[in-house]
Amino acid sequence: MRFVARFAKERQSSFEVITVFDEKTEIEQIDKADPVVETIATKYPAAIWFERKMHDDFGIRIEGAFDHRPLVHQERFPKDIHPMRKDFTEQSLDFAEYRPYKYEAIGGEGVFEVSVGPIHAGIIEPGHFHFSQAGEDILHQEVRHFYKYRAIEKMVEGMDPLQAAPIIARISGNESVAYQIAWRDIVVQALGTVLPNALLKRHALLLELERIIHHLTDLGFISNDAGFAAALAFCSKLAEEARRMMKHLTRHRFGFDAITFEADPLDIGALGQWLDHLQEQMQWFREWVIDIPSLWDRFDTTGILTPYKAKKYDTVGIVARASGMAVDVRLNPFYLEHGFRMQTQSNGDVAARFKLRLDEVANSIEMMRRFMMDNAPSTCKVQSEAKGSYSAFVESSIGELFMTADIKNGKIERFFVRDPSFMNWQALHLMMPGNIIADFPLINKSCDLSYAGNDL
Amino acid sequence: MIRFWEKRAKTSVVTEHPELETQIDQIRRSIKDEVKRKFAGSLAIRMVDSGSCNACEAECNALSNPYYDLERLGIRFVASPRHADVMLLSGLLTFNMYHHVMDAWAQIPEPKWSVTLGDCPLMNAPFQKSFAIKGPVAEHLPVAHHIPGCPPDPETIMQGLLEFLKKI
Ligand code: SF4
Repeated sequence: MRFVARFAKERQSSFEVITVFDEKTEIEQIDKADPVVETIATKYPAAIWFERKMHDDFGIRIEGAFDHRPLVHQERFPKDIHPMRKDFTEQSLDFAEYRPYKYEAIGGEGVFEVSVGPIHAGIIEPGHFHFSQAGEDILHQEVRHFYKYRAIEKMVEGMDPLQAAPIIARISGNESVAYQIAWRDIVVQALGTVLPNALLKRHALLLELERIIHHLTDLGFISNDAGFAAALAFCSKLAEEARRMMKHLTRHRFGFDAITFEADPLDIGALGQWLDHLQEQMQWFREWVIDIPSLWDRFDTTGILTPYKAKKYDTVGIVARASGMAVDVRLNPFYLEHGFRMQTQSNGDVAARFKLRLDEVANSIEMMRRFMMDNAPSTCKVQSEAKGSYSAFVESSIGELFMTADIKNGKIERFFVRDPSFMNWQALHLMMPGNIIADFPLINKSCDLSYAGNDL
Repeated sequence: MIRFWEKRAKTSVVTEHPELETQIDQIRRSIKDEVKRKFAGSLAIRMVDSGSCNACEAECNALSNPYYDLERLGIRFVASPRHADVMLLSGLLTFNMYHHVMDAWAQIPEPKWSVTLGDCPLMNAPFQKSFAIKGPVAEHLPVAHHIPGCPPDPETIMQGLLEFLKKI
């Protein structure tokens, strides 16, 4: 069974702890006066962040956990405040006294620690990495995030589902289309309607375009981190063209607010031409980079995540598939009918993640060609006034995105989302031992995880 | 490598559709003049993300792609605030980033300017105020210039930087 997520909800007289696996969902009711729940992290290690977050959010104590440190609440966050509780309604908080965070570190003679972040040297999101080093060699790394914590889950509570849509579209800019589709699925279920096929295909087309943009950007940056800047110039040019195509199709370079319940015919002439161009360029790129020995010298055997550990930590997306796990939300009849092929690699190193992105771009081009054949205008009527609990899974460019919401009287009662990065960040440290610290940026980039989607 | 140079010769300089090209060219030229006049040819920017969705950063990264190539105008993104003239701030100012942002700002030597990028820092994006957000930024820092958009596209960022340079 693959572990997906674990989170809490506040009910009238109890807390509910919900644990989602790929095959089933478990619900535990716990006492509100003295909320405590047994850890599952000894069996599913990736559950530990969920449990630490649950403690920060609701004050639920985790029994038997191997880690009781706060996760989202940082050094200056006031103690004993659990903002996801319904009785917490503050709009602003004062800073509390600084309480140092105890980082994981390895002791021993000559072992030293290196702190990186939250502000990094390039144009990237803030996050913290803490290394224990023996000279150049990484012994251990702790990933510490949540600097970008905006409290989105709380922010959308009490909102109308359609009112929350623009916020949800902006949780993680690189995965905006995926987030919008997940939210669409929830709204559609809540209304008890079914989307017309043409609309499904339109949205799927945009999702593949988003994936292409993300992969192209990464293919450039990964090569650049291995000292091969020419590939960055090449791929960033293609990525820019893809962004312009996104704008041409949706009037927005990231497709913000593009997943609507209406679809006008697209300019498929221009789209088809661009796809041909991209396919030809990518073919050329593949042949070019495969022949650069210095690149593969850096890529091969760097940052290995073994299939055993990938599975143990319930990783998803590119990271999981590069380590041989066949997990992809798109493995369903709809996608298979439109040319989806499950892509995996087995080595679990930077090279595997790089090659996987190349293969996925090629497959996305194929799928887009099929999706665009259905170009008729299409609409779907939506109205409010729904209630119930709904979830959605979408394969974003990073991996499996899980979203769930409780809706009551047409308003959001509880919103929870688990970005694929939330799983994969927890597996990042497993790729470090045996590598030197200078390879960290390369390994990190080969996974390209989101901070914004992770921190919420 | 031979294959690469063949391709390179064939691709030559990437051209845009004409209106965009002239527009960008104009911006490029005037930015170059202003940078030369006011910053002795080199303007150093430290980009700080205080809680964005990452699209604003993506557009800043796009400034280095061959279509825009910001660096040849003498504008560089630098790794340390101590090397910077300008702090370019994107995203919502979160509770957890507040002190780090202030720290970065304090490290920039005088004279210095802060420029906000995108709708988030001034709380103009669709997000609502929450306990985890300390924004709007202007309540905590002197904001010399603002580049609006969600996100502002690379052209708008170049235009915005130009306006900032004219202003100071
Ligand atoms: S302004 Fe818009 S694009 Fe920029 S960080 Fe905010 S939400 Fe994202």
